[in-house]
Order: sequence, then structure tokens, then C-alpha cells
Amino acid sequence: VSKVVFCEDDPMIRKLVQTAMRTTTHEVHFAGDGAEGLALIDRIRPDVVFSDVAMPKMDGFAMADAVRAKPELAHIPIVFMTASVQRERIDECFRHGAAGHLAKPFTMTELRARVAQFAKS
Amino acid sequence: MSRQGRKMRKLPRALRFYVAASTFYAALVFFAVQYIYTVQLAESGLIVARRDTGDVLASIQLVSFVVWLGISLIAAAIMHRLATALAGARSAEEQKQNELGSIFGLSAALAGPLELEEIARHFLTAVRNALDPSATVVLIVYDDVLEAFRTVAAEGPGMEKLRGQTYSAGGLAAAIRTRVIDHRQPFLVPDTGANAKTWTKVAQEMPQVAHARSFAALPLVSRDRLVGALVLLSDQPGTLIADRLQMPMIMGQYVAGSIHSALTVSEAEARAEREALVNRVAQRGRASLDPDEILRGTVDALGRVLGVSRAIVASGESEDDLNVSYEWDAPGVTPVGRGARSIPVAQFAARLGRTVVVTDIRQDRRFAEGSTDDSRQRGVIAVAATPIRVGGQLKGALALSQIDRPRDWSAGDVRLIEAVADELRVAITSAEAFEQQRRAVAELERLNRAKSDFVSIVSHEFRTPLTGIQGFSEMMTNEELTLDEMREYAGDINKDAQRLNRMINEMLDLDKMESGRMQLHHEPVDLNEITVESADRVRPNAPKHPVTLRLDPALGRVMGDRDKLTQVLANLLNNAVKYSPDGGEIVVSTRVEGTAAHLLVRDHGMGIPKEALETIFERYGRVESRATRNIRGTGLGLPIVRQIVQLHGGTVWAESAVGEGSVFHVTLPLAAKTELAGVAGAEPPRMS
Repeated sequence: VSKVVFCEDDPMIRKLVQTAMRTTTHEVHFAGDGAEGLALIDRIRPDVVFSDVAMPKMDGFAMADAVRAKPELAHIPIVFMTASVQRERIDECFRHGAAGHLAKPFTMTELRARVAQFAKS
Repeated sequence: MSRQGRKMRKLPRALRFYVAASTFYAALVFFAVQYIYTVQLAESGLIVARRDTGDVLASIQLVSFVVWLGISLIAAAIMHRLATALAGARSAEEQKQNELGSIFGLSAALAGPLELEEIARHFLTAVRNALDPSATVVLIVYDDVLEAFRTVAAEGPGMEKLRGQTYSAGGLAAAIRTRVIDHRQPFLVPDTGANAKTWTKVAQEMPQVAHARSFAALPLVSRDRLVGALVLLSDQPGTLIADRLQMPMIMGQYVAGSIHSALTVSEAEARAEREALVNRVAQRGRASLDPDEILRGTVDALGRVLGVSRAIVASGESEDDLNVSYEWDAPGVTPVGRGARSIPVAQFAARLGRTVVVTDIRQDRRFAEGSTDDSRQRGVIAVAATPIRVGGQLKGALALSQIDRPRDWSAGDVRLIEAVADELRVAITSAEAFEQQRRAVAELERLNRAKSDFVSIVSHEFRTPLTGIQGFSEMMTNEELTLDEMREYAGDINKDAQRLNRMINEMLDLDKMESGRMQLHHEPVDLNEITVESADRVRPNAPKHPVTLRLDPALGRVMGDRDKLTQVLANLLNNAVKYSPDGGEIVVSTRVEGTAAHLLVRDHGMGIPKEALETIFERYGRVESRATRNIRGTGLGLPIVRQIVQLHGGTVWAESAVGEGSVFHVTLPLAAKTELAGVAGAEPPRMS
């Protein structure tokens, strides 16, 4: 079973993802901000992390940097979910070591495909 | 005796020898006769009674000697006269030849050059040779550009005083003006001491020549045009008499033609130079869009072409506003300095809206008042000024001034000044238009950037609710769901749709308010009441933020739109919560301040940097920093607050310390009793 961590501050999107992932076999964990996400990643050691960028307390980039800074976590791929279509913003994601980028609004098919891509089946 | 001696010494050596020889010969004859009578006669035995005959003989001898001597002397004198006359005749011949020679030499010398200075040099040298080396000769010519007599050259003792002088028609002595300039006749004062009456006036009017003891001014006329005058001065009374001036006058006739040609050429050159200047100015005005560069190029050239001491461009939109914005000074002239304001003639020109020329400010009644003190101190005597107007609006003035001497500004000068001012006007207009265009482009660019920033912010904000709407509806379409699940997701979709709608409404509201299309519903509103309502609404979403209310029960009511004022409170409270992510007390207080209600919302959040305290009230003026990046906001909350407050005649501002929190102040005018009564009568207050 693959473990997936979602970091997202918007409760409606959290709920949406949770609902969408119900039909999959993955074990999905949620965090409401970066700090919570970092703790969760450290504890769960997921196969992949999906994270929003703009979050209170610690944003997605800071969280990604913190993950990269820990050798035991550094290998975990992080996919950023952003509402931005600006090229610079997307490039910034990859500068922070993103494994991929998922643009909001995304379809459930897209979301599931992205999760499947990184999760061990 | 000495006079005679001098004459004797002047006798030719041959003549002296002749006199000596004849005296010696007479003496020899005397002794020979004596010998013959006394010795030879005695030897021959003829005894003559010594006493008698001796006396007779002696007397005969004496007489003959005297006669002989007299004849010799008379002959000597006659011969001397003859010799003198011969010599005189020869020297007169020589002089005539000299004079003729110098005239021919002069005309030959003048055949070549067209340079006025060179002509003058030949001419003056010839005149002095023909006249007397002790005389001072000055050539003045009429300069069309200056419209005055200009000294071309001066030679002889005391010439330094006379060189470089310029005499306007008024600068010449009246007597000279009448006689030489008007009637083209020579003006002679052979002995200034003897003609004291005439001379005193001349000396007063032309102090440069006052020292002369003998004076003459001869007109130089060519082809009916008075080209100038030859002025002669001598410190020997009686030197400059009509007879002696024949030669200079004849020479003058020769020279006048050459001077005429030279002047015509130099006038043509000056005209060409002026035209070239105007063209240059026009070109520069078209080529350059930098007003400063246009000024540098044109005003300097104008100053030089006109030969003024100073050229000034003043700028200002009103007569009193005029101040020096650019100046050119001839070498050695002290600048007045940028921003200088005492430019009475330019101001006068600006007031009249036309060119003003002042020949001599000391004698100009228009500037007799104290306002000219400054310009007097600066030595300004003559000024020409013209206003620069763009589309009927004064933009500045162009002023040219002459220091230390009066100047009759010619029509040509005025034309040139006006042409340059006109070109400056065109240049300034186009430069201004360009600058306006540039500013407009910059403003458009700024707006465009703001717009794309807005689009990116808004699209970002819109995408979050859209993600929910799209995702849930997608699942409802594609997945097997129970009816309860369906209901639940439909509810979620609805919530996100409402969120989206709120955002759109906010934007539209702000747009309406900013463009003045917002209609406010005015009614008496109790600020305390809507504060309580808003606090109650925010509390469930802010568990870490205790909201404390300190409301003044005696606050009274304000006239306003209840919904909009509620929005003000909601936005301020939401901000207080949003920008204190770590929680903290939020205090809302109200109090009466004079005729206004004062509302304060205090938080203990991250605070606002000082430089952003104003801009946060501008559209999308949200402080963008690492700390706020994670806080969602359209950047429209505070602009909406400000618009609503201003539409109610109130004010809003913020004070803050970074890291400690912020206080937002809102003041709204309290409703007057009469106002409340009037409204109460017409329309009962809507109370919740």
C-alpha cells in the first residue's frame, strides 16, 4: 500500500481530494499547513507528497526545503498543486525540487493519475 | 639773433662757401691795391704825398671793399632764395607725387581685400601719412545689424580709448549727427579751445573725444549711402584745418566704396548667419525632445549672433512666477543664476503678451520704479524680451540684455528674437507632448502591470473555489454515489459557488465605487450595533482570536448605508484575523470625537511596514512579503473599506508597528438631530 501525504489549507479541497481518493487503495494523510505537513512526512515516510504552495505558518516551498534538508526524507518526491499558471511560479516549484506540478483546478482523473504515477502499486 | 642764426645754419653749404670765398677774394683785392699804391708807385719814383694820397686811396679802397662785399652778400642772398625756391618747388612736387602715390597706393591696396578691418588699416595708415603722425584717426562705420556706428579701427595716440566703441544714433554728439550724418558735411573744430561753446557740448555728449584740441569728423559716402565717418583728433590746436583735410577727404571717397562693399558682404553674412540660426533652432527643436538641450543649442547661438551680454530663458506660467531657467553669458559677464526672479522686462513682456524692447533702462519710464534696482545692480542697461506662449498659456520668456551700454534694438533683432522664441515654443510644445506621451505610456504600463498582477491574483483566488466546484461535480457525474453523498457534494459545490460570487461582487463593488456609480442607501445606522453583529459573525472562524468590544453607549448614529458599513467592519475584522496568524486579542472600540464617530480595530498580528501604510488602501496594494504570501486575499478588502468610508464623508487610516500589530481607524460624521428627525419622518429607520 502506498502512502500519500496531502498538504492543503483549504478545507474544501482537502475534502475533495479525500473523496476522490476513497476509491483508490492508497493510504492518504492530510495536513492543513506546511509545519503540520513536515511533521506528518517525518512520521509517515510517504511514497509521495502533494502540497499546496500558499499555506499559513510554513508554505509549501519552505516545507519542501525542510524535507530536502533531511537525508532520510530527501528522496520523497513532492508534487506542487498551484492555482498559478504563471511560468515563473511553476519554475519556482521545480527550483524547490518538485517532482511534478498539478495546476488547480484539476480533474479527479488527473489527480488520480498523478498519484498513481508516484505511488508504488 | 638765434632765429637768424638758425636761418644761417640752414643755408646750404655751397652758399656758405661762396660767401667765405668772396669775402676772402675781396680782402685779397684790398691788399693787392694797397701794395700797388704804396710799394709799386714808390719804387717807380712816383712819390705821392703819403698823407693825402694815402687817405684818399684808403677811402677808395674801403668803399670798393664795402661795395664788393655788399654785392657778394646780395648775390648770396639771391642765390639762397633761388635755391630755396627751387628746393620748395621740388618738395611740393614730391609731396604731390607722394599724395597721389598714397592715393593710388590706397586704391591699389583696396582693390583686393573685402575685409573691413584690412580696409580700415590701409586707410588710416594712408591718412596719417598724408596728414600728421601725431593725429589720431578713427574709422566708424554704420552697422546695419547693430543699427549703430561701430568703431572698426583707431590709430594714433590715445587710440585705446576709442577702440571697440559703438555709437548708437543717440550716442553721437548732436552736432556731429546733424552735420556729418544728416547733411553729410565735414564737421571741423580746428581749435577746441577757441570754439569752446560748440566743443563743450560735443565733449559732454561724446566723452571719448573730449581730450582733443583739434577735431574733425568727415562723412564717408558711397552711392548715396552714408557708410561711416572718419574721425580725426589732434592734441595740437589748429592742426585739423580744411586745407589739410583735403587729402583725407579725397581718400575717404575712394575708401567709402570699398567700405560699402565690405559692409554689404558682412551684412549678407550676418543675415545668412541669422537665418542659419533660426534654421538651426528649428532643426534642433525637431531633432531633440529634451528642452534643456534645445535651450543650450539655441539660446547660446542667439546670444552670440546678437552680440548681447546675456541671454535668459525664464519659465513660469504666470508673470510673477517667471524665473530664470536657463542663461547664457558672454565671457566676463556675471551670471544671474538659475531661479532668479528679478527680470522686470521679461515680466512686463509676459504681462503685455508681446515683445518689449528697452534701449536704456535708466531712462525708461516704464521701469523707473524700484523694481529695476536689481537689474541696475547687475549693470543691465538695454533689454529685449518676448514671451513664450503655448496654446495661449504663458510658458516663459526669452530675454536678451546688454550690459554697460544702451542698445537700440533693431527690427531685425526683434524679428530674430521672436523667431527663436517661436521655435522654442514649438520645441517646448513637442517636448512637453513627448513627455506627456511618455508619462501616459508609463502610466499605461503601470496599469497594465497592475492589471496582469490583478489577473494573476484573481485567477489564483478564483481557482481554489473552482477546484472544488469542478472536482465535486466531476465525481457526481462519473461515480456511483448515494443520494446523501450527492446532496453533500451539491452543498459543497454551492458553497464554493457562493465564495466565487462573493469575490466577483467585491470586485464589481469596488469598481462601482471607484467610478462613482455606487448608489448608497442612506439611513441612520448604529455603529455599535453592526459592530456587535460583525464580531459575532467572525468569532466562529477565529477560535484563536478573542474579540473584545469597547463600545461607547453614547455614540449616536451615523447616516449611511447599513450593508456597506457592515462590510467595512467585516473586512477590518477579517483582516485582523488573517494578518495575525498566531492569534491574539482583537479589540474593537467606538467613541465620540466632536461631531464624528471614531471606530478602532486593533490586532496583535504581524503589523504593516511604515512605507506600506498608505499603499495598502490602494487596489491590489496588499503588502507582498514572505509573511503575507500565505495569506489569501484579493487585495481588495482595504480599498473597498476606504471607498465606502469616503463615500460616507469619513476617513480611514492605519498605524502599525511591525511584529506588534496594527490599528485601523475609521471616522464617520455623526448624524445631526435634524437629519435624524427628517429621515425618521419620511422613512422609518430600518432596525434589525
